[in-house]
Amino acid sequence: MLGYVIRRLLSICATFTIVSILLFIMMHSIPGGPFDATDMPLSEAAKATIMAKYGLDQPLYIQYLKYMWGVLHFDFGVPFQSPGETVLELLGRAWVPSLVLGGGGVLIGTPLGIMLGILAALNRNTWIDYVASGISTLGLTIPVFVTSMLLILVFAVWLDWLPASGWGEPKKWILPIIAYAAIPTATYARYARSAMLDTLNKPFVMVLRAKGLPERKVIFQHVLRNSAIPMVTVFLPMFIGTATGSIFVEAMFRVPGLGAYFVSSIRTRDYPLEMALILMITVMFCFAFFITDIVYAMLNPKIRLGGKVIK
Amino acid sequence: MTNSNTTQPETKKTNSSVETTGTLPVARNPLYYAWRRFIANRGAVVAGSILSIIILMAIVAPYITPTSYEEQKFLSENLGFPSWEHWFGVDDLGRDFYARIVYGARISLSIGFIAATFSVFIGLPLGALSGYYGGSVDWFVMRIVEIFSVVPPLMAALLLAALTDGGFLSIVAIAALFGWVQVCLLVRGQVMALRNTEFIRAAKALGGSHQYVIFKHLIPNSISPVIVGFVQAIPLAMMLEAGLSFLGVGIAPPLPSWGQMINIGINFMFFYWHLALFPTLALAITVLSTTLFGDGLRDALDPTLKG
Repeated sequence: MLGYVIRRLLSICATFTIVSILLFIMMHSIPGGPFDATDMPLSEAAKATIMAKYGLDQPLYIQYLKYMWGVLHFDFGVPFQSPGETVLELLGRAWVPSLVLGGGGVLIGTPLGIMLGILAALNRNTWIDYVASGISTLGLTIPVFVTSMLLILVFAVWLDWLPASGWGEPKKWILPIIAYAAIPTATYARYARSAMLDTLNKPFVMVLRAKGLPERKVIFQHVLRNSAIPMVTVFLPMFIGTATGSIFVEAMFRVPGLGAYFVSSIRTRDYPLEMALILMITVMFCFAFFITDIVYAMLNPKIRLGGKVIK
Repeated sequence: MTNSNTTQPETKKTNSSVETTGTLPVARNPLYYAWRRFIANRGAVVAGSILSIIILMAIVAPYITPTSYEEQKFLSENLGFPSWEHWFGVDDLGRDFYARIVYGARISLSIGFIAATFSVFIGLPLGALSGYYGGSVDWFVMRIVEIFSVVPPLMAALLLAALTDGGFLSIVAIAALFGWVQVCLLVRGQVMALRNTEFIRAAKALGGSHQYVIFKHLIPNSISPVIVGFVQAIPLAMMLEAGLSFLGVGIAPPLPSWGQMINIGINFMFFYWHLALFPTLALAITVLSTTLFGDGLRDALDPTLKG
C-alpha cells in the first residue's frame, strides 16, 4: 500500500511538471502580450520597464523556473487584470460563488440522481424507468449552456419568476444551482441504475429472497450497500468537474466566480491567473482520482492496489 | 497476402448461402445481427432519422433557404419575430435567422465529422500499438492518456483557441486533440482482448510479421470500436465548437455557429426571444440525436461495450 501511494504521488508530480511545462510554453506563445494595448500604446521605454518588472524580458526557461519556485511556495504571481492583489487573493474571492453554486448543484443533484437511479432500477422497463433514463440522457448529452439558456428563457423571460442573472441574493442562486445540478443528477441516475441492476442480478440476492427476507430489507440492507461502491468512485472527479462547468454557467448567469475570471483571463492574456487556475484544477483532478482509488480499495476488499488486481 | 484477399469474398458468399439449407443453424454476416439489434432500438432509429434529416438539410442548405447566411437583405425588418416569410425571424443585423440556423448545421456537422475523423487517425494507431506491444509502449501511451484525463479539457481548449485565434481549422484540431483518447482506449481494449486469441497466434506462428498481424488482423477486427469511437467523437466535437464559439473564441462572425448565436441571443432574450431559442434548440436536437444514434450503434455493434 505504502509503495503504491509513493508511486502514485511520484506520478502526480511527473504529470504536474509535464502539464506545467506545456502550459508555460503555450501561454507564452500566445501572440500579443498583456501590455500591447492598441488604443493607448505605451512608449518603448515604458513597456521595457514594465516587462522587466514582471520578468517578461528573461529567457523562457528562467521565467519557468522562477515561476515554479513561486508555485511551490504558493506564490502564483500578480494577475495582470487586477494588479493590486495576488492571484491567490483574487482566487480567494472568486471561488466563493463557484463553490456555493457548484456545491449546491452537486449536493442537490447527487441524492436526486441516486433516487432516480434506484427508482428506475426497481421499476425496470416501466414508465418510471423511461422517464429517469430520459432525464439522465438529456442531462448527460445537452451542454450546460444550452440547459442554462432554456432555464433562463422559461423561468426568467417567459414566466418572470426568477432573476436571469447576477450574484448576491439567494433568489439569484436558484437557476444556476439547477443548471449545475443537471450533470450530477444525470450521472448518478445512470450509475445508480446500472449498479443496482448489477447487484440485483447477483446470486446472493436470490438467496436472500429465497430464504424469505422481506423485499424492503433485501433492497435497503443488502442491494443498496453493495451498489454504493461504484457510485463512490464518480463523486470526487465529478465535484472537481463542476469547476470546468462553472465556465459556462457563470458566463450565462453573469456570476463573478472562477469560471468567469478564467474567461476574462483568456481575453486579457492574463498568464498568471490562467496558469494558476489550470494548474490548480489539474492537481485537484490528480488527487481526486488518487483518493478515489484508495477509498475504492478500502471499500472493496476484492481490489488490491499496486500488485495484482483481481477483477 | 494477395491470396488471402481474393479468397475472402468467396468465404463470405459461402457463409451467406448456408441460410438456404434450412435445417442447419443459420450463419449470417455479423453485420446482419448488428443491423437487427439497431433496428430493434427505437430511440436510436428515431435519432438516426433526425440526424439524417439534419445532415440532408445541411447539404442542400442553399436550396431550402431564402438567402445566404450573410446577406443583410431585411434590414428594415431588423429583429423581426418569426413569421410566414421568416420562419425563425430576422436577426439583429437584418439576416434571415432560418438561413443562419440551417447554415449553422453545416459548420457544426462538418466540424463534428472532420474532428472525429482526425480523432480516429490519432487514436487508432496509438491504441493498436499500445494494445499489441504492451510493456513500455503501452506505458508511454497510457501516460499521455493520463495527462489528458487530468487536464480540464474545456479550459485547455479555451487556451488553445485563444492561442490560435479560433477559426474552423484550429477548432477541428483542438477537438481532435481531445477526442482521440476515447478512440485509443476502445481500440486498445479490443486489441488486447484479441492479442492472445488463437487466430492471432496462428498468424504469428505462420510467420506473420508484427506489421502484418496489426494491419491485416488486429485493425480489421477492431472496426466496431473504431466506428463507435468515431460516432461518439462527433457530438463531443460539436459541443466543444459550440462552447468555444459561445465564449467568443471559436468560429468568428459572419460564419454562423449555433454557440456564437446563443451568445448573441443572450443580449436580446428579454425582448427578442427567438434569437436565443432557435440556436439553443438546434444545438440541443443535433447533439442529442447524434449521441443517441452513437449509443444505439455501440449497443448494436458490440453489445459487450454497453455502459
